[in-house]
Amino acid sequence: MVAATFFIFPMTSFLPSPSTIAALVKIGLLVGGLMTAAAYLVLVERWMAAWVQDRKGPNRVGIPLTKIKLFGLGQPLADGLKIILKEDFTPKHVDKVLYTAAPLVILAASLAIFAAIPFGSVMPPLKIAGLPDPVPFLVAPGLDVGVLWVFALSSIAVYGVLLGGWASNNKYGFLGGLRSSAQLVAYEIPLGLGLLGVVLAAGSLKLDVIMNAQAKSGTWYAFAQPLGFVVFLVASFAEAARLPFDLPEAEQELVGGYHTEYSGIKLLLFLVAEFLHMVTAAFLIVIMFLGGWHLWGVTGSSQEVTLLGAVLRFAVLSAKIFAVILFFMLVRWSWPRFRFDQLMNLAWKVMLPLGLANLVTVAAVEEFRSHLPGWVAIAIPWAVFFVGWIVSGLLTPSGTDNTPIRTRGPLDVERELSHDYAGAR
Amino acid sequence: MTLPEILTPGRLLAGAVTAAAISLWLLLPRGRESGVARWLGILLGIAALAGLACAGRRLGGLGEEAVFLTVSLVAVVSGAATVLTRSPVYSAIWFAMCLLGVAGVLLVLGAQFLGVATIVVYAGAILVMFLFVLMLAQPAGLAPYDRVSNEPFLSAVTAAVLLGLLTLSIGRLSAEPAAPLAAEPAVTVAADPLAENHVARLGAELFGRHLVSVEAAGVLLLVALIGSIAVVSRSESAGLEDAR
Repeated sequence: MVAATFFIFPMTSFLPSPSTIAALVKIGLLVGGLMTAAAYLVLVERWMAAWVQDRKGPNRVGIPLTKIKLFGLGQPLADGLKIILKEDFTPKHVDKVLYTAAPLVILAASLAIFAAIPFGSVMPPLKIAGLPDPVPFLVAPGLDVGVLWVFALSSIAVYGVLLGGWASNNKYGFLGGLRSSAQLVAYEIPLGLGLLGVVLAAGSLKLDVIMNAQAKSGTWYAFAQPLGFVVFLVASFAEAARLPFDLPEAEQELVGGYHTEYSGIKLLLFLVAEFLHMVTAAFLIVIMFLGGWHLWGVTGSSQEVTLLGAVLRFAVLSAKIFAVILFFMLVRWSWPRFRFDQLMNLAWKVMLPLGLANLVTVAAVEEFRSHLPGWVAIAIPWAVFFVGWIVSGLLTPSGTDNTPIRTRGPLDVERELSHDYAGAR
Repeated sequence: MTLPEILTPGRLLAGAVTAAAISLWLLLPRGRESGVARWLGILLGIAALAGLACAGRRLGGLGEEAVFLTVSLVAVVSGAATVLTRSPVYSAIWFAMCLLGVAGVLLVLGAQFLGVATIVVYAGAILVMFLFVLMLAQPAGLAPYDRVSNEPFLSAVTAAVLLGLLTLSIGRLSAEPAAPLAAEPAVTVAADPLAENHVARLGAELFGRHLVSVEAAGVLLLVALIGSIAVVSRSESAGLEDAR
């Protein structure tokens, strides 16, 4: 009879504990909030586009069947309904399984990232039995590898891009998939170098610990590591495939990208995932470099909070994230798109050396921090920042030869490879 | 004798492993297809998985059993599918699923860094390179060496024997409590695998006790990197010479 027990599952272990319920509530809030935010951020983006281009933008859709306009706040609902009700057309020539799986993979990965990203500080003590206080605004507080988790899942998102392009069985879609995934893989390296500086300084991979470290010292890492901040900012623009890195959107020149063959709800999933990448990037920039929920003289810096304090910290974090997202949108309507080789040169020849310089500086400063006066520990990274800026400016060619390589001789190509072709012809 | 008395864990394991071997052998691609063998193989595979799960429950002490069973099922099934599919691209995708399952098992066991590093390094970097090559080289996957497996019988038997031996030695599944394997002290698990500073402790261990090995591995990788750059740059400059 002893042996019989191992055929029966212990049913009691399936009853959820209070911490499981808390995690489920957080997941519900986060997913619901993110999806709604994504829909309304599209509206904000269109307003921003209209403002930059000096027109009115969407301002008519309000409550249906009435004349109430509500500044166009009904637009996201109408957009969503339209794209969901559109025909979900699957071309005959595609690989059906992977064609369907690709958008699911990319959306699942970009939502699962948020398991390790805090969206506030901590709750005031709730005093619920079986639930350890204080409850953090974080789905998986026990995960000690937060930053790496974000990194791992954003590398899973590459699969969605690559498979979407391949499964479409279309030359342009496939080339677009290769192009985008090469971009994502290339910019993961400067992104990681930017992250490493912060991780070194905070001494932890957990994002909430990184925020607490900035709140405690009062110096946001954007001020302590300016070079790392710039490298991380550029790399996260590229990872989110936002302008000036949005080659998949370049229909006029490149026939779109990996989602050329997609329509209806599958295309919506791709677009939502891309938008979520931008939101993730904004979260990471704010949490790692702009102090998270901390604001001097407003939020305090200790771990004990009142209800008002918790709300205030949540509001500060959200406001910062919204500001960074607005910056993303403003950049989109201000910059032209990179060509693919320029994009790759930027990743490997500019961002990678700058990221390494930042990492070495941060490591040196952290090693000798106890012997240095406070202002020197800030001044050294800034000096490296300006030196890096000047050096990369001097080494960059002042012009670009746009004639096709085919019409140039090998000597020209060789000269171009050695960087001194500007003005040589 | 009742059913549970006949099915001792040892016999259960032996049966499951045999079923797994036969199922794998039936399912391995062999040029000509047979529907009956395919379905028989799938049914046997399911039976083998159920048997393994029942035998493996004696491992115990894992806490989140449901999560563990799910992720290990994902790992085992997609590991088998990696060798069973005919399209190289699908093989690579199944291998990525297998890696995700293994990473899930590592996370459940508390080895967070190892789990996430598995995803970053294998699934995120190496396998994406494989996929690039596979997709560019042969989109259709129609070559005979993709459609027929070499030595299906031997490989199935080897895999099954390895699986059985590993399960026996790791799980100490022998029925007699006095057996020498069971008498060994239990593997000491850290009191709380999710304890604070898991990564910091791992880093201190790596760069303390294993410093020389880490540095040696780093130098090896650097040598490989420089070597590959040398190979690429030589062939590139040779191409320029030809063009001139």
